[in-house]
Amino acid sequence: MSGLVEVQLLNGIVQGMIYALVAAGLTLIFGMLDIPNFAHGAFYALGAYVAFSLVSATGNFWLAVAVVPLVVAGLGLIVDAFAMRRLARAGHVYQILFTLGLVLIAQEAIVLIWGADPTSVEVPAVLAGGVPLGAVSFPYYRLFLVAASALVIAAVWFGLERTKYGAIIRAGIDDPEMVDCIGIDVQRLFTIVFGIGVGLAGLAGALILPIRGGQPAMGSELMAISFAVVVIGGLGSYLGAVAGGIFVGLTQAVMTIVYPAASEVAIFAAMALVILVRPQGLFGTR
Amino acid sequence: MIRYAVLVAIVALAPLVLHYPELETQMLTFGLLAVAFNLLLGEMGFLSFGQATFNGAGAYVAARALIDAHAALPFALLAGLVAGGLCAALIGALAITGRGVYGVMLTFAFNEMAYYIAFQWRDVTGGDNGLRGIPAPSLFGLSLADATAYYYFTAVIVLLAFAAVLRIIDSPFGAVLRAIRENEDRARAIGFRVRRYKIAAFAISGALSGLAGALYAELFRFVPLQAIDLDTSTNVVIATLLGGIGSPYGPLLGAAIFTVLSNSLSHVWSHWPLVFGLIFCAVVLFFRSGLWGVVERLGRRAAHA
Repeated sequence: MSGLVEVQLLNGIVQGMIYALVAAGLTLIFGMLDIPNFAHGAFYALGAYVAFSLVSATGNFWLAVAVVPLVVAGLGLIVDAFAMRRLARAGHVYQILFTLGLVLIAQEAIVLIWGADPTSVEVPAVLAGGVPLGAVSFPYYRLFLVAASALVIAAVWFGLERTKYGAIIRAGIDDPEMVDCIGIDVQRLFTIVFGIGVGLAGLAGALILPIRGGQPAMGSELMAISFAVVVIGGLGSYLGAVAGGIFVGLTQAVMTIVYPAASEVAIFAAMALVILVRPQGLFGTR
Repeated sequence: MIRYAVLVAIVALAPLVLHYPELETQMLTFGLLAVAFNLLLGEMGFLSFGQATFNGAGAYVAARALIDAHAALPFALLAGLVAGGLCAALIGALAITGRGVYGVMLTFAFNEMAYYIAFQWRDVTGGDNGLRGIPAPSLFGLSLADATAYYYFTAVIVLLAFAAVLRIIDSPFGAVLRAIRENEDRARAIGFRVRRYKIAAFAISGALSGLAGALYAELFRFVPLQAIDLDTSTNVVIATLLGGIGSPYGPLLGAAIFTVLSNSLSHVWSHWPLVFGLIFCAVVLFFRSGLWGVVERLGRRAAHA
């Protein structure tokens, strides 16, 4: 064994962690807040491009990784406070349509500001090189990406399930009026959750940049796959989104070895199968 | 009735005013696609991101029928219609297992799947080079190769299909779709088999979308990969909203304007989608009745004066 298959599978996990980050954010917004954010992929793309600008300007990748989620989360706060709340009464359809408009704006703004050509940045010097694996080697940066994503996903889970603020948020989702009555501004908390959700997408965009670079269409491509991920994992289940992400990343990697022409179709075929056999998703309860 | 007569008059006279028959034919086929989409959104309340799937299925099947079987044009169009309808019934049946937003996501994801299938299945679809070599349109030995002749042929079919949609909306079937839109549980409680109605609505919408795709395939004798991609589905959604979802005339108007704008503005400023996106967001926030809503309001004011 030359190690090629192992590398391919590890790459599947790397891609899967990116899907998991994006889908975890989507689950917070979609599953918990019940806001259908079809612009989630656009926030991911913006994350990559803002990271590109920061790296180009400062030469410091770590600064970009730290700042990008905050910038993207800030944009999310504006979108939620200005539009999504206002549209809540009009219903899901109009929330979807508004975020669709945001996708148009973001995609064209990216072309206008950064150009239509793909961009890329170097892997940070500390993480250059890789672990030898048979005849090939596996880049350190990708290992870092897996560890960093896992850490962030775990931190958000901990915040949600094991802290006071997490408890308030969950209570607010179960019964917003009651939480309002005890003097907590639920809406503000929800807006912050929305910001964290899109911030995760922005972080994923920044992390993937040294591997894949940025293209204006990267957001829309990711959107369809993230939908498949949350359907497979179970809509509204945070752990399901993470497991679904890794599952889809691995499926893609295995198909790339076995039958590359069908690597994308396989994801959606898996999704169709889940709908038929277990509509609530692998980890869903409802 | 008056509205339909005005529409027929406009469609009949359009080539005399605007001398771009290909563009006008596109306005009609895209209009049919938008009307088919709004049967699901405006009447049944289901937002479908899958219209390009059905459009593409119709276009490819009709094109293959013309190329491989040398089928007569009416049969090729019929084949496209049936393909679109079957495809939509299947995807609709899967998509409606999830309620609300979940179903919307599924139509979106299945459209992406259809795109990848068309992209990879080069022997049948030509992949990203598109499908070429479709014979010139002719009807009972009469050539429709002239762009204006093909425009009028398309116009007759689209107007007939539109009349059928108006009839469906006015029928008891249309009333049940609106009942589902207003309150699905209540419609079920009264005893309507909601699932069957939904799948039927999908099949009708898909069939009309397939017909639109088949007509489009003969227009340039070419099926681009874009016929089945998500951007086309998104454009249908945008054009329909712009026109207004409250009436079947809204989508027609929206599609016509969208087709003209996307053909002309891209020459003026290549970043026009940016402005378009802003306008679209404003429409969603403030003018949900769309352009047709404005037309109706003006009409009512004129009637009062």
